[in-house]
Amino acid sequence: MKCMPQAKCSTGLILFPAFDWCISPTHPEREERLLYTKDQLIEEGLEDIENIQFFNPELADYRDIDRVHLCVPSAQNLLTDSHLISAGGAIRAARAVMEKDVEKSFAIVRPPGHHAMQTVFGDRGFCVVNIEAVMVEYIRKHYGVKKIAIIDTDCHHGDGTQDIFYNDPDTLFVSLHQDGRTLYPGSGFLGEKGGPAASGYTINLPLPPNTSEEGFDTVMERVILPMLEEFKPELIINSAGQDNHYTDPLTNMNFTAQGYARLNRLLSPDICVLEGGYSIEGALPYTNLGIILAMAGMDTSHVKEPDYYPGKFRQSSEVNRHIETICDQAMQLFRNRTGTATGKTAERTVMDRKRIFYDTAGFMVDETKIYHLCPECPGYTEIEASGNNTDLRAFCVPFNGCRSCQTRARDHFQRAPGGTSRRMVVLQDRIDDIYEVK
Amino acid sequence: MLQIAGIDVGGTHVDGVILLGGKILAKEKVDADQQNLVESIISLLRKLVATPSLQPDQIHLSTTLCTNAIVNGALDEVGMIIQAGPGLNPSFLRCGDHVFFSDGAIDHRGHVVKKPDESLLAEAKKHFRDCGLDSIGVVTKFSHRNPVHERMIADNMVDSFSHISMGHRMSGLPNFPRRVYTTWINSGLQSRFDSFRKAILSGFAKLGLNCPCFILKADGGTMPFDLGARLPCETVHSGPSASVMGGLALAPVDDDAILLDIGGTTTDIALLAQGVPLFEPYGVTIAGRPTLIRALNTRSVGLGGDSTVAYRDNEFVIGPGRVGPPMAFGGVVPTPTDAMIVLGQLPGGSREKARQAMTALVGDQSPVHTAKQLLETFCGQLHRAVEQMVEEVFSRPVYTVSALLGRKRLEPAELIVVGGPASAMKNCLGENFKIPVTVPEHFEVANAIGAARTRPTMQATLFADTSEKILSIAEIGHREKIHNGYTMKDAEKRLTQVITSLARECGMGDLSDIEFIERQELNTVSGFYTTGKILSLKAQLMPGLNKI
Repeated sequence: MKCMPQAKCSTGLILFPAFDWCISPTHPEREERLLYTKDQLIEEGLEDIENIQFFNPELADYRDIDRVHLCVPSAQNLLTDSHLISAGGAIRAARAVMEKDVEKSFAIVRPPGHHAMQTVFGDRGFCVVNIEAVMVEYIRKHYGVKKIAIIDTDCHHGDGTQDIFYNDPDTLFVSLHQDGRTLYPGSGFLGEKGGPAASGYTINLPLPPNTSEEGFDTVMERVILPMLEEFKPELIINSAGQDNHYTDPLTNMNFTAQGYARLNRLLSPDICVLEGGYSIEGALPYTNLGIILAMAGMDTSHVKEPDYYPGKFRQSSEVNRHIETICDQAMQLFRNRTGTATGKTAERTVMDRKRIFYDTAGFMVDETKIYHLCPECPGYTEIEASGNNTDLRAFCVPFNGCRSCQTRARDHFQRAPGGTSRRMVVLQDRIDDIYEVK
Repeated sequence: MLQIAGIDVGGTHVDGVILLGGKILAKEKVDADQQNLVESIISLLRKLVATPSLQPDQIHLSTTLCTNAIVNGALDEVGMIIQAGPGLNPSFLRCGDHVFFSDGAIDHRGHVVKKPDESLLAEAKKHFRDCGLDSIGVVTKFSHRNPVHERMIADNMVDSFSHISMGHRMSGLPNFPRRVYTTWINSGLQSRFDSFRKAILSGFAKLGLNCPCFILKADGGTMPFDLGARLPCETVHSGPSASVMGGLALAPVDDDAILLDIGGTTTDIALLAQGVPLFEPYGVTIAGRPTLIRALNTRSVGLGGDSTVAYRDNEFVIGPGRVGPPMAFGGVVPTPTDAMIVLGQLPGGSREKARQAMTALVGDQSPVHTAKQLLETFCGQLHRAVEQMVEEVFSRPVYTVSALLGRKRLEPAELIVVGGPASAMKNCLGENFKIPVTVPEHFEVANAIGAARTRPTMQATLFADTSEKILSIAEIGHREKIHNGYTMKDAEKRLTQVITSLARECGMGDLSDIEFIERQELNTVSGFYTTGKILSLKAQLMPGLNKI
């Protein structure tokens, strides 16, 4: 006789609240953040449910970090054990799925990562390491997976993840978030649609404040599901931030536990990675549970915040129309996507400049990316960045780059003048998994 | 020095010893009649105290009464009231035919979200009475944080039913489904245990014994017989726990070690970390139901001396079942015992029949060779089961950076083996595990010795929320107001008081071994200001041996 329910879809959980780590004692990213979530999940008895399996995180290796990031002065210097564990938690989640221990997995770890860009000079938006990106490149390196879709459902624009995969046509990155005109980090508009070799592979859906279940349903049905249908990724990853919740103190949206559960049932991600979410008492215990049960194919109808009732939040028709327009425009961008830099010559380059604000320590980094285009592959990227009294120059070969771009990037690196105590020169070659500093 | 009688009721025998310190003054054995355990126990005790100088000052009893009742589906019908609140759909909870789901809820911080509807409770009460039920179980989600709804419902029922079990009194640990099953099992055992206790006590009186009696628990400790009437569920699985404590008594170790109790059909495995037995993270699973009944981490594998053996695709298939006695003792199927007899490692039985058993398995090689190979396979399988257990212990979830970085894998340095085939298997096990093997003296009465030497265990869990100014200790159903400067030191002091007074109820004096575990202290922040602390702390008396 069955005395415990069974998950229809075997699901792995990496639940690591890191009760002994914080940015500062009253910072939203503090020890207590996942306390009530852990209490709820344990009290529900998830550990005893057949087909739900708990895993401890492992420590990511610095190699795993250097495959993705350009840390200034170094990963060893910027990262604490907690960052390695958080990234290692995402890696453990991926391994559990890739090695078929489970069908799906969810890394409920902290600190989060989606604001961490390719170059890292410090902590921005509570993030130092982009744990999804580290996981994605780990999967590509160890399991040969190519096409991956990352759906970022955090309320803040996933600007770090966007930056890292901006010129990669094998990564479809979709971020749905509260409109950047009203919320940190102030980016994530429709016009940010991908680099020259991946135009239309970055899709931003800036949603108006007070978007509720209805709005997210619209986005899922009109944009995300049709895109996934067409893109046909080998893996779907959800950057599962939970700060669209109506009780979140940092945002202005009206999403719910029922909504998160439904979104994940529709999306059916292979791997979820927790991002933000700072309503630690009123939202996270319920939203996390809702997501887990939806992934596991279990009944979510009883997962409700204590003060929730269906129809609690209704969107105005104006908001509905606004969201529909955004959906149409986003679909248009995706339909017009172009894979490689078709028709452009090998010599051409495209330059992209930006200023990156590091909010935790409060400094600016000026960055220039030069995309060296190639008709065969996304091409290699040259990066110049300076800030916080240090300069970085880097040559990055993507995992899907061709051998001749790899050779060109290496030559370029060899020819570049060597570094000094204030200047780093780096070769990051994802084809042969090389990270070299001179 | 006290004379202590230890009695262990097993599947086939009731074993007993009387100890004076570490010395065995008497040991006896009678057949166990599972239908009439009281009679078996009393007749054993009668034999033990036959000599006039033997007059125990304490009796420790390990019995299969409750385990059998659960496994055989012989629990009393229980009226269950369950309040699940938001979360998993609770309809999977199977606790007989009389389950009422109450509305209302308590949240993860112990806040009352909504009170239960009293008219529904009245309806449940009427139904239970109409069905003639006498035992009630009441469980709410998060009652270990705030038992107010469980108490309210129990107060409502108390005038109409003899036995009421509340979830928070079973354990201070989280895990709602386990709390439900534990409460249901406890409730369903209460009347049975009550009559057992009365019959045993009157039997003791007839033998002129009116010394204190303790009953063994699954956690390697004892509790007073009277307390058992309130928490009969704790007496399940006391056999494996007696066996572990017996192993410890007979062969004390300080290192990580493995304890094997090799029986006829199964082998029980236990792990010791620096000489201390490990617990299950939550509790024992019995008849498919996970519970919060605190228990030693033991595992039973279907490998025993009398397990059936077949030979298929060039491999021995051992167990998991038993068909009858070994061929050397007139059985029809080859067994590991036959192999031991062929190798001259076990006395008795027909060596000729045992050889035939080996030939029946593999026709084209010598029986001695087959016997060796069979025992190697047997030890190899045990070794794999032990390794899997070590891995599971290592993989238990941790939640802090320091705990994750500080994890250590058990490295067993010694193997302690008890049970019938222990001596016969000693060399083979040593070769396979590659660590020293000890087969202690008197291992045939290890369980009874374990029962006799074991002392009371207990635990209490404190949860304090200084921003809410509330403290609760689930196991004693206690809840009090605290000031917002309450600290971990205060929590330690409070729990020490609780354990000390619980221990006094158990007649214990010396309490040097209170251990604080699972210490957690987190700030609560509202907006961007620290408003208080959430403290949680568990205190326990570890299972251990009475000093001699």
